Amino acid sequence: MRDVAVVSFAQTKNVRRENRRNEVEMLIPVVQEAVEKSGVPKQEIGFYCSGSSDYLAGQSFSFVMAVDCLGAWPPIAESHVEMDGAWALYEAWIKIQCGEADSALIFSFGRSSPGVIRETLVLQLDPYTLAPLGADPVSLAALQARALLESTDHSEREMAEVAARNRSNAKNNPYAQLTGDFDVDELLAEPYFVSPLRKHDCAPISDGATAIVIAADDVARKASKKPAWIRGIDHRIESHQLGLRDLSQSTSTSLAGEKAGAIDIDVAELHAPFSHQELILRDALSLGDDVKINPSGGALAANSVMVAGLTRIGEAANAIWDGTARRALGHATSGPCLQQNLVCVLEGE
Amino acid sequence: MAIKQEGVLTISEFPTTFTLEYPYTRTLGPVIGPFLTALRDGRILGIRCGSRVLCPPLEFDPDTGETLSPDFVEVGPAGCVEFWTWIAEPSRKHPFQEPFAFAQVKLDGADTAMTHAVKAAGPEAMSAGMRVKAQFREERTGAITDVYFVPEGDARDVAIAPGEGEVAISTHLISLTFEENLYPSRARYAQGLLDGKFIGQRSPVNGTVSIPGKGYDPLARVLMTEADDVELASTGTATSFTVITPIQYKGQTETEPYVSASIFLDGADQALSMQNIYSIPVDEFREGMRLRAIFKPAAERNVDNVDNSWMIFTTGNVIERWEPTGEPDVPPEEFPEQI
Amino acid sequence: MAEHCAVIGVGQTQHDAKRIDVSQYGLVREAAERALEDAGMTYADIDAVVVGKAPDMFEGVMMPELMLADSLGAVGKPMLRVHTAGSVGGSTAIVAASLIQAGVHDRVLTVSYEKQSESNAMWALSVKVPFQQGMVAGAGGYFAPLIRAYMKRSGAPEDTGIRVALKDRQNALKNPYAHLKLEGIDFDQIANSPMLWDPIRYLETCPSSDGACAMVLGNAAVAKKAPKKPAWVHATAMRTEPTMFSGRDQVNPQAGQDCARVLYKKAGISDPRKEIDCCEIYVPFSWFEPMWMENLHFAPESEGWKMTYEGATALDGDLPVNMSGGVLSSNPIGASGMLRFAEIANQIRGEAGEHQVDGAKKGLGHAYGGGSQFFSMWIVGDQPL
Repeated sequence: MRDVAVVSFAQTKNVRRENRRNEVEMLIPVVQEAVEKSGVPKQEIGFYCSGSSDYLAGQSFSFVMAVDCLGAWPPIAESHVEMDGAWALYEAWIKIQCGEADSALIFSFGRSSPGVIRETLVLQLDPYTLAPLGADPVSLAALQARALLESTDHSEREMAEVAARNRSNAKNNPYAQLTGDFDVDELLAEPYFVSPLRKHDCAPISDGATAIVIAADDVARKASKKPAWIRGIDHRIESHQLGLRDLSQSTSTSLAGEKAGAIDIDVAELHAPFSHQELILRDALSLGDDVKINPSGGALAANSVMVAGLTRIGEAANAIWDGTARRALGHATSGPCLQQNLVCVLEGE
Repeated sequence: MAIKQEGVLTISEFPTTFTLEYPYTRTLGPVIGPFLTALRDGRILGIRCGSRVLCPPLEFDPDTGETLSPDFVEVGPAGCVEFWTWIAEPSRKHPFQEPFAFAQVKLDGADTAMTHAVKAAGPEAMSAGMRVKAQFREERTGAITDVYFVPEGDARDVAIAPGEGEVAISTHLISLTFEENLYPSRARYAQGLLDGKFIGQRSPVNGTVSIPGKGYDPLARVLMTEADDVELASTGTATSFTVITPIQYKGQTETEPYVSASIFLDGADQALSMQNIYSIPVDEFREGMRLRAIFKPAAERNVDNVDNSWMIFTTGNVIERWEPTGEPDVPPEEFPEQI
Repeated sequence: MAEHCAVIGVGQTQHDAKRIDVSQYGLVREAAERALEDAGMTYADIDAVVVGKAPDMFEGVMMPELMLADSLGAVGKPMLRVHTAGSVGGSTAIVAASLIQAGVHDRVLTVSYEKQSESNAMWALSVKVPFQQGMVAGAGGYFAPLIRAYMKRSGAPEDTGIRVALKDRQNALKNPYAHLKLEGIDFDQIANSPMLWDPIRYLETCPSSDGACAMVLGNAAVAKKAPKKPAWVHATAMRTEPTMFSGRDQVNPQAGQDCARVLYKKAGISDPRKEIDCCEIYVPFSWFEPMWMENLHFAPESEGWKMTYEGATALDGDLPVNMSGGVLSSNPIGASGMLRFAEIANQIRGEAGEHQVDGAKKGLGHAYGGGSQFFSMWIVGDQPL
């Protein structure tokens, strides 16, 4: 295996509605910043890969337009996954492992604001027995939260603590959308939104974009003072139907974590759009109290769909760069109730 | 049609609404077909998978992918709630418009729970382990929504006459509404059309003029602003065209062959593509022809069909027709071979 | 490249306008199980699954790989979903191959599909969706001017497109899986079919199909134990250019030229016309055969049509093209690119049946998409490179 490192990370501020710039106008400065910070000359970047979903803004082939942010001339080696950008990073990492490129730029964008994301995500479900019920992601997450509360020792208080901690952490993140100090008792006094979830247990609706540059071996060493080396990256999927899973656990996260070598972690950036999912993920990855979770505020502070997973990897790299962590973990999820999960373990020199 | 603005918003004068709506026809295959046929007929089927019974049934073993033989087992109609959540404020997509529960329901005789709706008096009537029973709707079409669940004691008897034939196709209407404002560059283009002008953008890097401006230069990766806007002439050259013989399909209004042309406005470096031309006979249309856009009277212009689409650019409903200017044709070698 | 990769199993569905007999699960499984059987494997043998398809709006399922996970035996495994417009079937195969070449997995199942009849994409959906305003209506209107420009540039005889269509439609008669099989098809039938978007006639266009294609890929150790002859992946390449900018040559796009050039270089090919035995290329409208022959450097500029005219691209020509009948005969959009990659692999494996090119040892699979701006290609051979 080649040594591959995250060498730069850039993101937009996450906002409820970005209507002053189209997707490409959002991406151009972010891509520019990622390239500049990376130290890899633009013309030497060997591969490009993006992650996005047509359904967010209701436009098919939306990724085709996004190519405009790259200045793809002369023509470039480029690919796209209809997934969170974290999986685009995985494809780029594979490309580098093949020896087809020594560096890659990965980006993702998501603008949920034109549509109603809670209705749009219903279309992720099996179209025969689930989607016609309008079983939206908040309702399904609520079933999962109930499963967690009923079959483990976790409590609604812990969920509120997760929400409060993430939003407090996010005060230090200029790109976050929902930040502030919250009192756990006050949060617990709030009414249920979709029981047992309260509003604070749910991620905000965000528009945003992220770009990351990764590079191999000497290219990374030459470009970056402190490469965040990818020591392991793996992703796994589970059954689609909720009835076929133990919703209080995330076996795919455990497996991906095991394959990626998720041990001795100092900081973990977990892609948990609902507070209880952070509890499930911490259990799945056996992250103890000594592990700092989501210094960025995580998805509860900013959740641009298709972007938030890639952002977690970028934030994990930030933890390496700012010295908070020697080993950091970035996690991404996709599908109803954590159906699919990716774990990326980063390490400083 | 105004969009509710929140957060860091700036209100544009051009809100757009787009509804992506289509009735999808789902062909069901050998397992979901019988399952939905049974629902229509007031019965619930599971399928044997090794020592387990799966409900809803699948065509395959979810653990291994191996094909399951269609060994159906009738399950329910009653069962237990495993987990539930109370939907206090249903959306228009939910099976009920008044409060209800979503639940994981494990039917008697099944080993897996199905996600479905439970109609109960309130959240206090719901609990893990509670008994529920299938309540079939009066009108059933062979869809998962033919049934819902109620607390076992609340179930009403419904006389169910089996339907005719097998349900092989289920129709699912998907309707999503998208609302956004025109981006600033597109809004200025739209305003120009309303004013009877073509507004493009000149790249500050290489000077090329595109219409409509995209707000950026795709090759140089630089953002453009209002300062880069340029007004273009309403005359131009047809550089390429095709004659379209309409095939009738939903939403198609043309019946006679017509020209769809790419027109290079004077001063532009990119064509306005797919301009439909009805006013010039098909056999008189030529590449190199000089054309002028005649705008409708100001009061009749609208830009209702101008949206943020990045690929298909309309010129709104502002052009009355394209007419020949009477100038000599531009010889082929003098206009760029542009599509 | 760390590891060799070979195609050891190929499967495809019966392609048809409406596969009303299957669910989406059933459609992908029909192809996947044929590929697994061909490779002598079951789902349990597979390490990872890579799915590709074109816009999710065709089926109205967002990121359908999620709901297909169990149906493709992917539970507990890595699963990826690729989408690169019309080139997606090819790109998907390339991503799957790279998982093996990287040494990450030993056996990968890759599947691509489209079930267009779920939405009847041909004439429905919103006008806002590009290429979809009636899939063929929109695409035809978009591509017809390119073809006119090509005719003008090259001076190709006006019946070149008819000859391509005739060849591909006759080839399709030898392909048991083809959607459009027009028995007794002849030149006049095509010439007299309605002119939809001048110069494109009805019988020079692709249909809209339901269908799927799958391949099992393995590393060298796996390929050596495969029950049938493997097709070894010699090289893969992808290239992209922006949709619209001033001065862009959409007739002979730079991205396609560059992609082919880098592909041949990686595969050690210096004279593609001589060294490549046959091709499956993405020809949704007949005229794209001569255009791509030039773009792929098989013919000098403006001379691609001569290959069609002289019969070089016929099944018995010196560079047979689209022996399977191509996209003109079956077009499940998301799978159309992978069908090119899989059909060419089958030629090399000697498994192409009635449309087999005798002794094919090296072949090219090609797909493109968007506004002629996304290209994916591979070269497969009968021996490892």
